[in-house]
Amino acid sequence: MTCESMAELLADHLQGRLQPEQAARVKEHLQQCMACQADAAMWQKLATFPAQQPSPAMKSRFNAMLDSYQEGRWEKANLKQEHGKFLDFGAIVQWARTPALSVAASFVLVLCGFLAGRYIDRPQPANIDVSEMRNELASMRQLVVIAMLKQQSPSERLQGVGMVQQNSDPRVLEALLHTLRYDNSVDVRLAALDALSHFSSHQDVRKGLIDSLGTQQSPLVQIALIDVLVDMRDHSAVDQLKRLQQDPALDPSVKKRADWGIQQLS
Amino acid sequence: MADLKRRMTHTISDEELMSQVRSGVGESLGVLFERYRTPLLNFYYKLTGDRGLSEDLVQEVFFRILKYRHSYRPETGFRAWMYQIARNARVDHWRRQKPETSWKPEMSPPVMPEDKAEEAQQHALLHSALLELSEEKREVLVLSRFQDLKYEEIAVLLGCEVNTVKVKVFRALRELREVFEALESGKLVRKQGLRDAGMRPGTGSVQ
Repeated sequence: MTCESMAELLADHLQGRLQPEQAARVKEHLQQCMACQADAAMWQKLATFPAQQPSPAMKSRFNAMLDSYQEGRWEKANLKQEHGKFLDFGAIVQWARTPALSVAASFVLVLCGFLAGRYIDRPQPANIDVSEMRNELASMRQLVVIAMLKQQSPSERLQGVGMVQQNSDPRVLEALLHTLRYDNSVDVRLAALDALSHFSSHQDVRKGLIDSLGTQQSPLVQIALIDVLVDMRDHSAVDQLKRLQQDPALDPSVKKRADWGIQQLS
Repeated sequence: MADLKRRMTHTISDEELMSQVRSGVGESLGVLFERYRTPLLNFYYKLTGDRGLSEDLVQEVFFRILKYRHSYRPETGFRAWMYQIARNARVDHWRRQKPETSWKPEMSPPVMPEDKAEEAQQHALLHSALLELSEEKREVLVLSRFQDLKYEEIAVLLGCEVNTVKVKVFRALRELREVFEALESGKLVRKQGLRDAGMRPGTGSVQ
C-alpha cells in the first residue's frame, strides 16, 4: 500500500472526516508508515502557528471606505424632519448641545463628587444632606448622558450610551428611545437598542421598542430589534411585526425573521 | 463596540448579510468585516509573510466586495465567493508588482522571554518552510488548515475535483514537512546564503 494511494483518505483523516471503516484503514497505514506519521504530526504542528491580530488602523481604513460609500445614501432629509420633535427638555437640550457646556457638566459632576466626599468625611452633620447630594449626583450623571447623546460625533454618542446605568430615570430612557429611532449611525442605534433591552420591564420602554420597529430602515437594526422583542415575549408586538411585513421594500432576511418572530410570539 | 455589534447581529448569516449589502445596505458589510478581517489577514500573512501587504490586501477585498456586490448570487456560499475575490486581489497585486521586489518576512520578534524563544523559533522556521513551497501548494495548505475551508469549498474555489484537492493537500503537506525537516537540520544556513546572494525563495510559480 503506497502513500499516494492513501492520499485522499489521509487528507480526510487530517480534517477528521473519515467513516469508522476508513479510519481503521488509515490507522493501519499510519502504524507502518513513518513518513505519513510525520506528515500528520506536521499537520498538528501547523495548528500551533500564532494568529496575527488586525491593527486598529485596518478598522479605521475600512470605516473611511464605508463612510464614503454610505454618504448620500442615508435618508438625511427624513432624519432632519424628525430631529425637531425632540425638544421636550427645552432649555436642557439647547444647553446640552454645546460641547463646551457638556464638558462643563462633567466638571460639575467631578465637583459634586468632591463635595460629596467631603460631606461624607465630616463627622456629624445630617445624613439627609448626604443622600440629597447623592441624588443630585445621580441626576447630574443622567444629564451628562443625555448631553452626550446629543453630540455631533458618533463615538461620543456611543460613549453616552455606554454610560447608561441600571437605575436610569425616565428622561434617560426617553433619550435612548429617541436615539434608537433617529440617530443616523447604525452602530449608535444598535448600542441604544442593547442598552434599552435591559429595561424591558418598563412599560414605556416596551412600547417604545415595539413602536420603533416601524421607523427602522437598516436591516441590521430591524433584525436585532425583532430578536429583542421576541426575548421580551410581549405579544402586543405581533401587530407591529405584521405591519412590518406589509412593507414591499422589506429586506428578505428581515421578512424571514419577522415570520419567525410572529411564530414565536403568537 | 465590535463585541456589541457581534452580539446584536450574531444570528444573521453571511449570505443574508451579503444579500443586504447587494441591495445597498452598506452597514451590513461592517458585520462581515468584523467576522472576516482576522481570517483574511492571516490568510494573506501566511501566503506572503508580509504584514503590511496583508493589511492592504484585506482592505482591497472589502473594497471589491462593495464594488462587485451585484455579482454576488445568494445561492453561492459567501465564504467561497469572498476567497475567490481574495485570490484575485492577490494575483492582481503580483501582476502590478515589479519582479525584483524582495521578500521580507517580518517574523520572530527580536526580544522575548527565554521559554518563548524556542517556540518562536519553531514558528519562524515553519513560516520559512511555508514560504519555500510553491504558491499553489502553500495556498492549498493555508486554505485547508488555517481558513477551515472544507475540501469541497476549495474545489469550487480552484475549479477542480474534490479528489484532486485532497491529493494536492497531501502532497503539499508532505513537501512542507520535508522542507521543514531540512531547514531544521541545518540547511537553513544554506538558504540564508542563497538569500544573501539575491535569490528569492518561495516565489517560483509567480509570474
